[in-house]
Amino acid sequence: MEWLVENRDPVVRLDRTFWSVTALLGVLALAAVLWWALAPIRAIMPEAVDKAYQIDTLFRFLAASGTALFVYVCGYLIYFSIAFRKRASDPPDKIGVQIHDSHSLEFSWTLIPTIFVVIMAIFSIRIWYGIEFAPPNTLVVEALGHQWDYSFRYPGVNGEVAEMHLPVGQPVTLHVSSYDVIHSFWVPDMRLKADMVPGLINTLDFTPTKPGKYSIVCTEFCGTLHGDMRSGTSNDKAYLYVDPPDRYQTWYRQTQLAQAHAGNTIAVASTSGVNLAGGDAGAGKQLFAQKCSACHAIGPFDQKVVGPGLKGVLHDPAHPNLVNGQPATPANVSKILQNGFSGPMGRMPNQTQNAISDKDIANLVAYLNSLK
Amino acid sequence: MTTAAVTHPGLVGGHAEQPDQLYVETRELRVQGFLLFMVSDLVLFSSFIFAYLYLRNTGQGWPPPGAPKLDIALAALNSIVLFGSGATMHFALENWKHEHFIKFANWVMVTIVLGALFLSGQVIEYVKIAAGWGSSGIFGAGFYTLTGMHGFHVFCGIIFLTILLMQATAGKYTFQKYTGLTLGTLYWHFVDVIWVVLFSIFYLY
Amino acid sequence: MAVAAVHSGGIADHIHPEPQGFLRKYVFSIDHKIIGIQYMITAGLFMIMAGMLAELIRVQLMKANGGFMTPDTYNQVYSIHGSTMVWLVIIPMLTGAFGNLIFPVQIGARDVAFPWLNMISFWLFPPAGLMLYSSFLMGAPAAGWTEYPPMSLQGVAGTSMWCAAIFLVGVSSTMTGINFLVTILKMRAPGMTFTRMPLFVWGQFVTAPLLMIATTALGAALAALFVQREFGVPFFDPTKGGSPLLWQHMFWFYSHPAVYIMILPAFGMISEILPTFARKPIFGYKMIAFSSSAIAILGFMVWAHHMFTSGMAPYLQLPFMVLTMLIAIPTGIKIFSWITTLWGGVIHFDSPMLFAIGFLATFTLGGITGVFLAAVPFDLHAHGTYFIVAHLHYVLVGGSLMGILAGLHFWYPKMTGRLMNEKWGKWSFWLFFIGFNGTFLPMHWLGMWGMPRRVAVYDPQFLFWNQVASIFSFVMTLAMILVIVNVLWSIRNGKRSGPNPWRARTLEWQIPSPMPYYNFKHVPSVFGNPYDFGEPLPYRGLEEELTDSPPPIPVAAH
Repeated sequence: MEWLVENRDPVVRLDRTFWSVTALLGVLALAAVLWWALAPIRAIMPEAVDKAYQIDTLFRFLAASGTALFVYVCGYLIYFSIAFRKRASDPPDKIGVQIHDSHSLEFSWTLIPTIFVVIMAIFSIRIWYGIEFAPPNTLVVEALGHQWDYSFRYPGVNGEVAEMHLPVGQPVTLHVSSYDVIHSFWVPDMRLKADMVPGLINTLDFTPTKPGKYSIVCTEFCGTLHGDMRSGTSNDKAYLYVDPPDRYQTWYRQTQLAQAHAGNTIAVASTSGVNLAGGDAGAGKQLFAQKCSACHAIGPFDQKVVGPGLKGVLHDPAHPNLVNGQPATPANVSKILQNGFSGPMGRMPNQTQNAISDKDIANLVAYLNSLK
Repeated sequence: MTTAAVTHPGLVGGHAEQPDQLYVETRELRVQGFLLFMVSDLVLFSSFIFAYLYLRNTGQGWPPPGAPKLDIALAALNSIVLFGSGATMHFALENWKHEHFIKFANWVMVTIVLGALFLSGQVIEYVKIAAGWGSSGIFGAGFYTLTGMHGFHVFCGIIFLTILLMQATAGKYTFQKYTGLTLGTLYWHFVDVIWVVLFSIFYLY
Repeated sequence: MAVAAVHSGGIADHIHPEPQGFLRKYVFSIDHKIIGIQYMITAGLFMIMAGMLAELIRVQLMKANGGFMTPDTYNQVYSIHGSTMVWLVIIPMLTGAFGNLIFPVQIGARDVAFPWLNMISFWLFPPAGLMLYSSFLMGAPAAGWTEYPPMSLQGVAGTSMWCAAIFLVGVSSTMTGINFLVTILKMRAPGMTFTRMPLFVWGQFVTAPLLMIATTALGAALAALFVQREFGVPFFDPTKGGSPLLWQHMFWFYSHPAVYIMILPAFGMISEILPTFARKPIFGYKMIAFSSSAIAILGFMVWAHHMFTSGMAPYLQLPFMVLTMLIAIPTGIKIFSWITTLWGGVIHFDSPMLFAIGFLATFTLGGITGVFLAAVPFDLHAHGTYFIVAHLHYVLVGGSLMGILAGLHFWYPKMTGRLMNEKWGKWSFWLFFIGFNGTFLPMHWLGMWGMPRRVAVYDPQFLFWNQVASIFSFVMTLAMILVIVNVLWSIRNGKRSGPNPWRARTLEWQIPSPMPYYNFKHVPSVFGNPYDFGEPLPYRGLEEELTDSPPPIPVAAH
C-alpha cells in the first residue's frame, strides 16, 4: 500500500480563474436566455390558437432556464476537467482536496432549484387551467379516429364529414373519440393534443386565431398505417381549415344540405312507428346488454358512458323530454331507435346500422318501460 | 418415552438444542426474505383490486348487465371457516412452541381440513353463479380473477402446510429451530388478511 | 501465519467448498460473481440483438417513405427493440450483472442472502429472452414496448408470447430484488453502517424495493392482458365494459419506477468512479444517498405523467405534474454534487472516467427535457412525438448505457485480472459520445416540428434531420462494435491489472483479481467510509487477502 502517502495540497480556494469562468458562463447563459426569448418560433410553426402563445411562452421559459443550467453544467465539467487534470509532473500519489461537503453550498443548490420548481409549477398550472376550462357558448365539434383517418361531426349536420372546418375567433369545444383503437388528435400548429380512446370522450377547449390549412397528425400507435395517419396521405385526407366566419358559414350550410341527402339520421326521421305491442322485456334486457351497453348504462341520466343512463328514460320527472326534445314516450323512444340520433354527446346508429329488427325495437322499448 | 421422542431426537426433553449463531443469522435472512415475498404478493393482489375498483367506478356501473347476484350468506359462512382456520393454525404453532407435538399435528390437520372446506365453499359459489370468466363482462374480470387468485393461494397454502406437517413428523424441526413452521403460519395468516379485503370489496361494497 | 480471526460461527464463517466440475462451477453456479458474469454475457448478447434492430430502424428512416421494411415489420422491429433494451439489457445488466458481481463484495459478504434463489433468478432470464424473440416467428407484438389495448388485443399471436416472456423475466427481477434487499439489510460486514456503505451499494439498496414492488405490478398487468387475449376476460375492452385507460394505469405504475431501476444503479457506479479517478472524496455523500432514496420513493407517485393526453380526469393531471417536477430537485442535487467532486481533484482521464464525465453531460440534458415534459401544457404538444424519443434515449443511453460502459471499463479488471485496451477505450468513448449526440439531439426539434413517434414513414419535410440521425447512429454502432472487440480481445491480451489498478478504496479492490470464490479469507471489519483518499484504508483484517496464505477452511457439506 505504498501509494498511500500523507500528501495533501494546501486548501484550494475558489480562485480568480474560477470566477472568470463563472462570469463567462453567465454571459453564455444570458445569451441562451435571450436566444430563447427572441427565437422566431412563430415563423417556423404558426401559433394557431389562443393557447399556443401561452404554451410557447412556457416553452421559452423552460428552454431558457434549461439551457442556462446546461451551459453551467457543461461549462464547469469542461473547466474542472482542464483545470484539475493530472499533469505529467504530478507525483503518482497526488490526491485532490479532501473536502466532503459544504452545508451552505448544498443548501443553496437545494433551495434555488426548489424555488425554480415552484415558479415553474405555478406558471404551468395557470396555463393548464386555461386549457381545461372552457368559456360558455362554445361551438361543439366532434372528431373521431378510425384506422387510419379522421372524421368529424357537427351539430345539426347528419352523419360524418371528412374535413374539419372551424371559424376563426370562435371558442370551440372539441370532443374526440375513436371507433376502434386508441388514436390521437394533434394539430402541431395548435400545440394541443388529445388521445382518441374508444368508449371515452376526451375534450379540448381552444379558440382558433389564425385562418389557414393545418395538418392533423396521429401520435398514438394505431396499427400498420399509423405513420400514414396524417393529413395529406392517400388514406387520410382530413385537414383542419380555419376559415373567416362567413366562409365557415358557407361551408357549414353546404355541408348540412349535402349530408341531409346522405340520409340516415334525424333530418330524415321516419314518421311511421314500429308496432310496439307484444314487446318482451326479458328479450329486450338481453339485447340491451348486447347492443346498447357499450354506450348506455342502466342507471341515472348522469351516469354517462357515451350516451346518458337509461334507467329512467321513460319514468324520470327530471327529464320529461328525450335528447331530441320530444316527450319521453315509448313511441318517441322507438323513433330514436329507428332513426338514430346525432348530437353533442355523440352519434347513435340507426336501426339498420345497429342490425336490429322491428321486433327487437319492440322488445327494447318494453324493457326500458319496465324499469322503474 | 413417547413415540415422538423416539422419532424426534431433537425433541428429547431436557436436552434442548440451542440454536447456534449460524442458525440465528440464517433464520433472520429467511424470515425477512419471506416477509418481502409476501409484500410482493400483496402488490400483486393490490394491482387487481385496483383494476376491479377502477372498472367498477369508471364504467357502466356495478353490477354490469348480465352479472349474477352474489350469495353473501354462503360467503360469510365460508369466511368464518377461513378465519377459523387462521385461529387453528395459531393454536398449532403455540402448541409447537410449548413442545406438544401431538396437539400441534392435530391443529395443523384441522387447519388443512378447514382450508379445504373453504375451497369447496368457493367451488359451490362458482357453480351457483354459473357465469363465465370471459363472458360476464367486468364482473368476471373482477370477481373470478381475484377470488381465483386467492383460491390458488389457499390451495398452495394447503400444500405448504401438508409438507410442513410431514417434515415436522419426520423430525426436521426441533422445538428450538422451527423457522419453516413460523413461515407457514405467517403465510396462512396472510391468505386470511387478503380474504378480509376481498370479502369487503365484493360482498359488502 | 494467519491473524487471529474473529470466529463468530455465523454466516461470515460459513464457507462452502469450492464447486467441482464445469457444470457446477460455470453453468449452475450459486456464486454471485459467476452469476453476475452470466447475466453480463446474456444481457450483452441481447444488447447486440437490440442494437441491430435499432440500426434496422435507422436504415428505414433514411427515407421518408421507407421501403426498407414493410410497416408491419418495422412496427415489430421497434417494439422488440424497446422491449429488449428495457427488460433484457438495461435492467439485467445493472442489477443482475453489476449488482451481483460487485456489491456483495463491497459490503464484505461472502455471497448474497439466497444464493440458490439467485441462480434460479438468472436461469429464468435466457428462456424469457428466447421466448420474446420467438414471437417473431408468430407475428411479433407491434404496438411498442407499451402495448396499449385495444391495439394489443388485436391479431398477432406474438403479443401473448410477449406477455409471458416479460412476466417470466419479471419474476426473475422480483426475486433478485428480494435477494438484494435482504443481503444489504442483514449481511454487511461488522462496522459497516449505512453511512459507511459505498454509494454503489446505496444504488442497489434503493433499487431493490423498486424491483420487488413495481415488477409485481407489471406482472399483474401482463397477466390481465394475457387472460383478456386468451380467455376473453374484458379488463381493457371498452365494448365489453373494460377500460383501455386501466392498462395505462397498471402498466405505468410499474414502468415509471422501472426507469428509476434503470438509472439508480448507474448513479451508484458514477459515484464510485468519479472519486476514484479524481483522487478525492465524493462530494455530498449523505445528500447523494438521501436523494437516491427520495427519487426511489417519488418514483412511485408520478406514473400518470405518461398519460396527460390520455383522457383521464383533468384534475388528476395537477398532482402528477407537481410531483414530477419535484423529482428534479434530488436529481439536481446529485448532478451538482458529482460536478463538485471534480473540483480540486487530480483527474485521471482513463476510459471509465471519460464515460462517467460524458454521462454527466448527456444525462443532465435528458433530465432537463424530462422537466419540460412534466409541464402539462408542454406535454400536450410533445407527447407521442420524437421529442419523447429524444428524451428517453438521452436518459437511457446517455444515462444508463453510458453508466454501464463506464462500469464495464472500471470493473473489467476486477472480473478478469486484465485491463481493457486503453486506446480503444478512448476511441470508443469519443465515437460513442459524438455518434450518440448526433443521432438523438435532432430528434428534439423533429418532435417539436410535428414528427410523431412509432412511424415507419414520415412527412418529407423531416427528411434531412432523419438522415443526419441515421448517419450518426452508424458512428455509435461503430463505437459499440469497438467496445465488444475490446472486451473479447482483452480477455487474453489485456495487460495484467493486479488487484487494484485504479487504486480504489472499496472492498472489492482489496482482494485479488479475478476474485476468489470465497471472496475474503477473513471478513473484514469496517470503521470508516471508503472515500477518504490520503487516509489509511478504513478496514481491519485484510492483511492476508493479497498474500499466498491458504484459502479459508470450508465447512463440511450439509
